Formats: sequence, C-alpha cells, structure tokens
Amino acid sequence: MLEVKNVYKSFGNNHVLKGIDFKVNKGEVVAVLGPSGSGKTTLLRCISFLERADSGTIDFDEFHYDMADISKKEIHTLRMEMGFVFQNFNLFANKTALANVMEGLVTARHVTKADAEKRAHEMLKKVGMEDRAGYFPAQLSGGQQQRVAIARAIASNPRVVLFDEPTSALDPELTGEVLTVMKNLAEEGTTMVVVTHEMKFAENVANRVVFMEGGNIVEENTAKEFFLHPQKERTRQFLQKTTGEV
Amino acid sequence: MSERVVQIISQSFFQILIPGIKVTIPLTIISFALGLLIALFLALVQIANVPVLKQFALVYIWFFRGTPLLVQLFIVFFGLPSLGIVLDAFPAAVITFALNSGAYNAETLRSAILAVPKGQTEAAELVGLTYGQTMRRIILPQAFPIAFPPLFNSLIGMVKDTSLASSITVIELFTKAQQIAARTFEPFVLYLEAAAIYLIFCTVLTLLQKWLEKKMVYRTPDNQMVSAEAEGADAKEEK
Repeated sequence: MLEVKNVYKSFGNNHVLKGIDFKVNKGEVVAVLGPSGSGKTTLLRCISFLERADSGTIDFDEFHYDMADISKKEIHTLRMEMGFVFQNFNLFANKTALANVMEGLVTARHVTKADAEKRAHEMLKKVGMEDRAGYFPAQLSGGQQQRVAIARAIASNPRVVLFDEPTSALDPELTGEVLTVMKNLAEEGTTMVVVTHEMKFAENVANRVVFMEGGNIVEENTAKEFFLHPQKERTRQFLQKTTGEV
Repeated sequence: MSERVVQIISQSFFQILIPGIKVTIPLTIISFALGLLIALFLALVQIANVPVLKQFALVYIWFFRGTPLLVQLFIVFFGLPSLGIVLDAFPAAVITFALNSGAYNAETLRSAILAVPKGQTEAAELVGLTYGQTMRRIILPQAFPIAFPPLFNSLIGMVKDTSLASSITVIELFTKAQQIAARTFEPFVLYLEAAAIYLIFCTVLTLLQKWLEKKMVYRTPDNQMVSAEAEGADAKEEK
C-alpha cells in the first residue's frame, strides 16, 4: 500500500539515505531497526515529507509522486492519510489532551465539533487516557503524553501510522504503557511502521523487520526469521550487542 | 514649603492629570494597538519568508529603530506638510508612535514565535493543518505568553515616550505641566508633579501586568506550564 523507491537524502556532504527501497503492506507492522545515525528516522521523515528527499518515488495506494518534485498540496493529500508519532510527543502545548486529538479532525477534516469530540473520547479511551481528557500536555507524564499523541495520530483513521522512536524519550517504566497501546493497535490490524530500539517489541509485534545501517537497508526479513536466523554478519553483531544473545 | 507652592501643587494636580487621562492614555492605547498590528505583520512576513514583504520589513525595522523617535515625530508633523500631507497633532503622534513601536514589537513577536519549538509546527502540519491554521491555532497562542512581558515593557515605555508629543503641540500631560511651570515659575515642583503622574500610570500598568500574567496559563518554550491556576488544580486533584 505504501512503497518508496530509490530514496536518496543528504544533508550537505552527509549522505544519510543511499537509495532506499522500502515498502509496507496493508495491515502489516514493520519495525525499522539499526544503530543511531543509520538513517531510520530520516527515512520516516522523508516518507512524511518533514524532510524533502533529494530523489525517490512514493506510491501510496492511488497516489504516485516524485518525492523530490511534489507540490505542497500533494504533500497535504498524502499526510491526510498518514498518522505520525514523534519521539518527543509534540503535543500542542496550548491545547488539552482532548483538543489535541480533535484538532486534525475539526480544523483539517471539517468534522463537526460534536462528532470530533465523540471520536476523540473514543480514541483517548483506547489509549487509556480518557480520565485525562481535560489535562494540558505539561500536566501529563511522558508516557501519558505519548499515549495522547498516539490517539491524535489514529483519530482520523489513517491508512498507515508512522512511529519515530516512540519510546526513546521515556524511562523504562513508561515505555511499557506505550508499547502496550501500540501492541493493541497492531492486533487490531493497523498498518504501522515503527522505528525503534525496542528489540522485544520488534520480535513479538512486528511482522517484518528492516535493518538499516549507513543509509542502506542491510537486511530485511520476517520478524521471526530476522531474529532466529539473521543472514548478514552485521545483523548478527547488532543483535548480539543489543540483546546479548543470538 | 511655602503656602503658595502648596496651593500651586493642589491646583495644578488635576490640571495636569486631566490631559493625562484624556490625551496621554488614549494616545498610548491607540498607538500601541496599531503598533501591535504592524508588528504582527512585520514578524509574520519575515517568518513566512514572503519575498519583497520580508525585505520591506527589514528596511522598515532598520529605519524606525535607527532614527530617534523625536526626529520621526518632526518628520511626520512638520515635514510631511511640504509634501502636501497635513496632519493634526494628535493623529500625527498616533501614527508616529504606532510606526515606531511596530518596529520594536516586530522583533519581540518574531523572537517569541521562533521560541515555540519546531516540533509544534511539524505536528500541526502532520495532522493536516495548513500553514495559516498552524500559525493561528498552534504557534501564535504559544508565542503570545512568551512575548507578553517584553510587550508590556514596550507599552510602559510608550506611556513615557508620549511626552515627546508635547514637542509637536499635542496638549498632553507634560505639555500642561510645561505651561503651568512657565506661568508660575515653579519648574521643579511642576515637573516633579508630572513625573509623579507618569509614575502612577506606570505603577497601575505594572500591577496590571502582574495580574494578567497570573491569569494567563503561561507556557515556557520547553513546555513547562507555570500557572497559579494549574497548580491550584493539581493541588485539588491530590486531595
């Protein structure tokens, strides 16, 4: 349903993505793993057009665009079908949890206030944040903020939800509550791309794993195969270091 | 203090205070409000990087910050008539103060807008908001509390700057004090009185600022909310 091909991106002389081909099928959960600086986050940001790729193409269901030559309007069309969860939440600081979830529905999609509010309450309930609907982000813990951010991302029922290291800014205790929410979403059949350092999550929840390093995809496999029988030496090294076992 | 001086003080106090209330205060409020609109425009065209308008903003700010307010007043009131533009003293003062404060406040607003974390814009765009919606609904509401204290600074500054309008024949607080001083030959007392009235105005504004800041849910750039009300709400929650 979502496929990018031959994506190149560099910042000055720093070549971050060197011809990435990446694809997600409907209902699939893809975990993107790799060491820091491997280009995982940049890939996600290029897919959502927070960064403009130097070259590459995107096929997203009925949409087909050149990633380097795409209009603002076309970007907007694509984004209306995507959800995005940031590493550091980025909840609107001037809005309550409920208003955060409603914003994209009311302002961007012209859903009536009453319908949006109903939907937002449902979404907050889904992430276990219903009792904090009236709270401002600064009054919530990191884990709570991220759960609201997930509610915001899924409120418009997007075709794919992109997660950019959703638990990296959280302490281990709060990580659990966010991963549980994500696992539930995955079980409901939400199409997800998750850039993460959570090996257990990748192993247990993801269908497919993509391993990146140095701007390239080193290895790609079903989650089970990836963890049981890594093909490449570099992947084995990475798994050994991150999980302490192979 | 002689009886005569006491009498002059008591008589002149209201004579000075009245133009203060009738002229100085409206002059300040109207000029500041117009200046704020100019400032918002100048800040936004710079941040949105609008060609031509951005360059215009830079030149504008360069000019109005780089020349004395008194000289600007003279240009507008005494200079423009030679181009056929004749303005009454009060509107000339309003225009000059608005243009001048617009330049300074543009920088205040620009820095406040830039102080809102970039992630807020990214998140807004990704939920589908347009640039204008993002500014209006997400960024400006967060920039305003950041800009509030320096804007108030500029407002208090303007209260005192309006005394310059006396030099272009606006009969305001200080003009009145000058007139009475010339008549009574008591400049020291009269100017102290004028100073005292300005001080009263500014004290009221200072108290107003404190009160408004407490009312405002104030969010610093790193997203920490400091608000008396919010803290109160938390305390209630704990009980």
